[in-house]
Amino acid sequence: MSAPVFNELDPILHSQLRLAVMSLVISVKEAEFTFLKEKTNSTAGNLSVQVQKLKDAGYIDVTKQFKDNYPLTTCKITPKGVSAFEAYVKALQSYLNMGK
Amino acid sequence: MLREEKPLSGHDSLLIIQQMIDTAKQEQKGDGMGWILWGWLLLAASIGTILNLQYQWLSTFFFWNAFGLAAVFLGIFAAGKVIFFKKTDGVKTYTSEIFKKLNVGFFISLLFIIVATNVGVSPLRGFPLMMSLYGFWSLIHGALLNFKPSIIGAYIMWVLAFVALFIPRIIEAPVNDQSYLFTWVMVLHALGVICCYLIPGHLANNEFRKSSTGRLVNERTRV
Repeated sequence: MSAPVFNELDPILHSQLRLAVMSLVISVKEAEFTFLKEKTNSTAGNLSVQVQKLKDAGYIDVTKQFKDNYPLTTCKITPKGVSAFEAYVKALQSYLNMGK
Repeated sequence: MLREEKPLSGHDSLLIIQQMIDTAKQEQKGDGMGWILWGWLLLAASIGTILNLQYQWLSTFFFWNAFGLAAVFLGIFAAGKVIFFKKTDGVKTYTSEIFKKLNVGFFISLLFIIVATNVGVSPLRGFPLMMSLYGFWSLIHGALLNFKPSIIGAYIMWVLAFVALFIPRIIEAPVNDQSYLFTWVMVLHALGVICCYLIPGHLANNEFRKSSTGRLVNERTRV
């Protein structure tokens, strides 16, 4: 049996890596790119693309700076991102309850 | 490794959310090594002092002075790691921000009591005060991390601190033998350290290692 597809769920969040990133950044104050990469076990290139998509959607703030000549990228969830994540979890719960 | 192609089911989504939130939570709790190191140092100083009082090897506070030097050395080492090697955790949590302030408050209060015992407050009173401070730190720490062993350890520490405070009234010491009473305070201090730092520290460390192993398994089985 194939997995059910939830078209109504926020497409920005309904992706493994973006959802993992959002779940991490909602739990902390701010997270460095290296931390997200380590915890999601993703590649830098893939993570970079997904972070950019979340940023473009206004769900996270990305700050790029240099620390001792090394680039330091930090991500922080925005109020819009918090609302979207809450709405996503709510929708997910209602779908799962429907299936019972 | 997380990939983008696979369609997500509701259960997959929930699993990802749960795993990542657990990871972030565990990150806040840490591996307990700080408590373990601090606890073993305190325990070594307490037991060293008990033996020293018994066998009169060195001056009474030799082991506490050695503990102070070790603590200063470790503090400098930890600060050096951040300043010179730029070792950061990679993540800032709301809890870690509170912990930083809590630790600053704890060490300033501890220093205050240490100074007080050096300018006239009897160590028979000073150590129970320190024990009550350990209890306070442990309660806040346990409450913020929702870690019951620390909360239970805090209450045990306070009970022992109260007993230690009244040791001169509870124990009948030979006339003018302060070291006999101080030995009992050190015994209670050592017991408190075991309950408040060492047991919670080792439990946190076990939990951390288990969850790290769990994460590795999850990562291997992930699509």
